[in-house]
Formats: sequence, structure tokens, C-alpha cells
Amino acid sequence: MKINFTEEQNLFREEVRSWLEVNVPKKPLLSLDTKEGFEQHREWEKTLNSGNWSMVTWPKEYGGRGLDLIRWLIFEEEYYRAEAPTRVNQNGVFLLGPTLMEFGTHEQKSKFLNAMATGDHIWSQGWSEPGAGSDMAAIRTTAVLEGDHYKINGQKTWSSRAAYADWTFGLFRTDLQSERHRGLSFILVSLDTPGVTVRPIPQLDGEPGFAEIYFDDVIVSRENLLGEDGEGWKIAMATAGFERGLMLRSPARFQQTAAKLLKLYYKNKDHCSPMLQSKVVEAWAESESYALSIYHTASKILAGGSIGSESSLGKIFWSELDHMMHQTALKILGASAELVDSSEHDAAQWIKGFMFSYGGPIYAGTNEIQKNIIAERLLGLPK
Amino acid sequence: MNFNFTEEQLQFKNTVKSFLSDECSPDSIRDGWEAKKPFNHDRWNKIANLGVLSSNLPEKDGGFGIDQVALSLMIEEMGYAALPEPVAEQIFLINDLMPLLPDSIKEEIKNTYQTGSNFISVAHPLSPNPLFLNDAAGLLLFNEDTYQFALTEDIDFISLVSNDPSRELSKINSIQKSVSSSEEFEKINSAVAARGALMTGCLLIGLAQKMLDLSSLYALDRTQFGKPIGSFQAIKHMLADVAVKIEFARPTIFRAAHSLLENNPKSALHCAHAKYMSAKAAELACKNSIQAHGAMGYTWEMDLHIFMRKAWSLMACWGNEDKQQDIIYKTLTSSEEELGVLYTF
Repeated sequence: MKINFTEEQNLFREEVRSWLEVNVPKKPLLSLDTKEGFEQHREWEKTLNSGNWSMVTWPKEYGGRGLDLIRWLIFEEEYYRAEAPTRVNQNGVFLLGPTLMEFGTHEQKSKFLNAMATGDHIWSQGWSEPGAGSDMAAIRTTAVLEGDHYKINGQKTWSSRAAYADWTFGLFRTDLQSERHRGLSFILVSLDTPGVTVRPIPQLDGEPGFAEIYFDDVIVSRENLLGEDGEGWKIAMATAGFERGLMLRSPARFQQTAAKLLKLYYKNKDHCSPMLQSKVVEAWAESESYALSIYHTASKILAGGSIGSESSLGKIFWSELDHMMHQTALKILGASAELVDSSEHDAAQWIKGFMFSYGGPIYAGTNEIQKNIIAERLLGLPK
Repeated sequence: MNFNFTEEQLQFKNTVKSFLSDECSPDSIRDGWEAKKPFNHDRWNKIANLGVLSSNLPEKDGGFGIDQVALSLMIEEMGYAALPEPVAEQIFLINDLMPLLPDSIKEEIKNTYQTGSNFISVAHPLSPNPLFLNDAAGLLLFNEDTYQFALTEDIDFISLVSNDPSRELSKINSIQKSVSSSEEFEKINSAVAARGALMTGCLLIGLAQKMLDLSSLYALDRTQFGKPIGSFQAIKHMLADVAVKIEFARPTIFRAAHSLLENNPKSALHCAHAKYMSAKAAELACKNSIQAHGAMGYTWEMDLHIFMRKAWSLMACWGNEDKQQDIIYKTLTSSEEELGVLYTF
């Protein structure tokens, strides 16, 4: 054990920092859940790619830098420190990317990873259906193989980013006789394909962050099948399992929130009770613990280890932490904690984050589902 | 950056784990309680023969010179077994502190302490009632601005009863003769407080893990409504919550140990963080474990309380959650420039 950064790692940090200092937009972008804001964020993805920063862990041939997870964590720390824009393509770079890396053919990797890196393909997720939320194995949208293409019919919902995205990836039932998690396949679908209808769903904040996607005889080439026909569940569950959980929620985001919370409290401490001080310490302590745990995990992975159901522990931890931190901020703000007026920038940002933090314990498998996974796979309790 | 343990560090942990699973069963702990003699000298000698008591002494003094990271791995196992003997105290609060002490006191301790046959107890404002003073050869005592070493025979003390029958405590009335010093008091006092926090943190993580394991086994075994209670989500979720707390407390222990090893200027903060997180994990482990056991968990017969009692005591001494919180807040706000610094390392 040697938990210090090497000279090279520190130099890498400096390189990231100076690039971000020059390139991060001085004026915050519009919300990525608006048409105009979405395109601004796409432009930012292009800028990132021009500096070769789309995804530092990917191999060079796919637009990455071939660096390890520790460097990726350093990149993220600098990214959040610089308050750089949210990654509009996180479904692509953090979710589909690692999946393609493990299960994609060479052709699929070249085609999709490069377009992902340049921001030309922004991805949405197509998992849930009206009858398949927490019970994802109840998926009914069908993809019937007809020669060299699939014909897709059905409906996806809660599809994050789908309102303005270019592509979606998800699970479809390719074996119509199958039940539950058998007979599902992992297919990539362009949202421009005839027969696809996207209906945005306004979220809690009033903006269309997710959408319903309807499929009406949508024809998709067989080349867009990831892995083998019928292997979809395995790919969706096991793909780069650890890496996915780790990459999607790097600790820097929560540490940045904790740091801001501490400053907010310090500025307002004269009219706050000690109870809020205790919450602020908890925020620092937990975000710091999350970071330590992720560096621990990254070290294990670099040494050839792998992580499975453990990512469920992390998902519960960061989502509850995020909510607690925003709740605490609103308490510190007192009566300003309802102002989303443009004259009250700080309060408005915390309130936006507060509402967003309610999503954490729900998406990517509710925390209750994660607890079932922990109990059954890590503690050995019966189904 | 490498957060993995070395083979050697894991070997120490595994040696202690397997020894304690053979030699420190809940039944053997109960035997000590019933005899009102929780300190088992036979076990203490075996632990000494295993080399654990001298494991972190320099090789020239007959030790293995192992580091604080390996120590914390070993101490977690002592928590897991609820070991009554003050092994963690001896290696973490005496052996590890020794290099920092002034020669006058170091010499006295060296002359008094003989690995395996006796030990040195410690008292500090954060943990004022020393353990097993009856069995100790001497006491290292921290006051408000001095510290002193006294032989047990020169101390007038009375026994105190702990809620954990494995902990024999004393209250010191007066000390007739001692070697006292105030040399580098701030530094040494903060070093012992940090070690006390980290040591209790390691023990608490082990205890929390043990309570979770006992509860998982019980939930598999106990049936109601025709199936194991562990198949009900109410039970699953309670225990999963404990698993989450333990998972994110554990790395704080190793970071704190590593900071002591590297003389990191923030080691006091890191040790406070480790105790804070592990006390919270242990607290939830107690609450949810007894709940998962139902009425059985409330009995003397069930072993669960052996571990709960130790956890309750250790949460309270060497700085409880509230005290650690105070240290953390003061450190984080001690300089305006560093307020809200983002980085972990």
C-alpha cells in the first residue's frame, strides 16, 4: 500500500488543469435538457475531443489516451474542480462505452466509440418499459429477426436524454417464446429510424430530461446487435459491471458538493444550529470515504481483481449522501430555500441539485432493488 | 497510488484471524466473565508466542517491525473475535508510541515491560479508566499538560465495573511515585489520541462485521411464516444498510493507518475520520443486528451481546462520534484557503 500520487500522476493532473482552465466555458451553459442547451453541451463534447479528453481510459485508436483508472479519477477531480459542464453523453461514454469495449466487434467499436467521442452520437438509455421498471426482466418490446435485420415493436420509457439524443441502446425480446431474462438481446437503435417516435416527459424541474420511445415496425440492421442473440441480460448485468458503477459516479462530484456545502455553512454559521454543523461534517466524512473506497476499488481492478455486486453498495451510498447534502444546504439557506429567481443564483443552484438528488435513489435500479442484491449476493440471504 | 495490501500485511491478518477463531470463542469469553477474570493469561501468552505483541517493535528489539497498515488489519480481527485481552492497546498505544516518548519515560517502560509476561496500561482524558490495571506492570497516564509513567505498585486505584464484562476498568485515586514529563506534550498527546481513535475504529469495524455475519446466519436459520426470515425484504434491507456502512468505513481505517506510517501532517484528521465512520457503522450494526434477532437478540444466552457490549464501550472511549466530529470540523475550518479543499490525497 502506497496511497500517494506519483510524480507522473501529478504532472498529468497539471496537464488536465491547464487545459481545462483555458477551455471550460466561462459562462455556464444552458440546461442540457433544453434544445439549445443540449446543442451547447454537444459542442462542449467536441471541444473535449479536440483536446483528446473524451475518455482518457479508452485505447488511442478509439479516441482515448489509453490511461489507467487512477488517471481517470484524477481527470475527474480536475473536471469537477473546474466546474466544467455536465457530460451530455454520459450514457455513451460511461455506460455504453465500457460495454462496447467488452462485447463489441472491432467494427462496432470503430463506428460507435469514435462517433461517441466526437459528440456526433449522443446516447440515451432504453431499459425500462411501462410494465418493466424495477422488474426489468418483464421487458416486452420485441425485436424479430427477419433475414439480416430486426423488426422492433413496443415501447420504452424513462429513457434518459432521449428527448434530444441521436441513439438509444437497450434490451429487446428477440425470442418471443422466452420468459423473464432469457431471450433478450442488446440492440443499438438510431432514433432517426422510421417508425421511432420520441415523446419527451417533463421532469420534476419542468424540463424534458427523459422520454418515452415508441417503436412501430422499426427496421434495424443485425449489425447493431451487441454480443450474441439472447445474451442481452448477461451483457446488461455483467458488462464491465464494476467499471460502470465506478465511472458513472466518480467521487469528485460529491466531494465538490461537500466542499461547497462547507463553505456555505461557514458563511452562514452565525445563524445556524450545531445540528447543521454536524451534517456538514458528515457530508465531508462520507464524500471522503466514498473517494477512498473508489481509489481502493480502482487499485484492486488495476491489480487484476474484479468487482461485481459490490457496486450496489456504492450506488446506495452516493445517492443517499447526495440527497443529504442538498437537504442540508437548503436548511442552511433558511427562507431563501425556495427562491429559484435569477437574482438568487446560489439558492437556485442548490434547489435544482436538491430536486435532482431525489432521482439518485431511484434511477439505475432503485436503492431497494440494490439492497435486495446486496442481501442475496453478498450476505447470502435467500431470494 | 496503490491501495492494495501487501502479501505480508495480509499474512499477519490471516494468522491472527485463524488463531482467534480457535482460541477466542464466545464460550471462552463467557468463561472469563463467569470467573470474573476476563483477562486470560494463557491466551495472552499464546498471543505473545505468536509474535503479535512484539510484531511492531523494531527487529533489533525482537519484533518484526510491521507497519500500522498491517496492525490495523490485525486489530480489525481482534474486534471480530471480541478479544478481551488488551493486545490492541499494547501494540498501538504503547509499542507504536514508544519512539515518540522522551528517553526518561521510554527507559522506564522498557525496564518494566516484558513482552508476554506483563503489559502497560494507558489512561488519557479521552479514556480515563485504564484497562486491566490489576494485571498491568505499569501505567502511562496523560494529564492536561503532562504525562507520566508509574509502576502499578505505586498507584492507588479502585475497580470500576464496565457494562462490557470483558473490560476490567479502574479509577485512579493517587500516584505515589512516577516519572513525569511535559516534553513535546502537544505532539505526543495528539499522537496518542489519534492512535486511540484509530485503534477503537479498527476494533469497531471488526465488531460491526461480526454482528452482520451473526445476523445473516440467524436470518437464514430462523423461520417464520414457513420460510427463513432472511427472505423478507424488511430483514434484507436492514442488513444491507449495515453492509453499506461497513464498506465505506473500512477504507478510512487503512488511509489513517497509512497516514501514521507516512507521518502525514493530517494524520490526526484521518484518524478522527476513521473513528467517526466506524463508530457510525458499529452503531447501526448493533441496532439492526439486535432487531434482526428479535427477542433472541435481547437475551443473555445469544452471543450477539458479547459483541454489542464491546462496541458500545469502544464507541464511547478514545473520543466518541461527537468528539471526532469536533476534530474534523476544527481541522477543516482552520485555514480559510483550505476551506473546502476537494482532494483526498
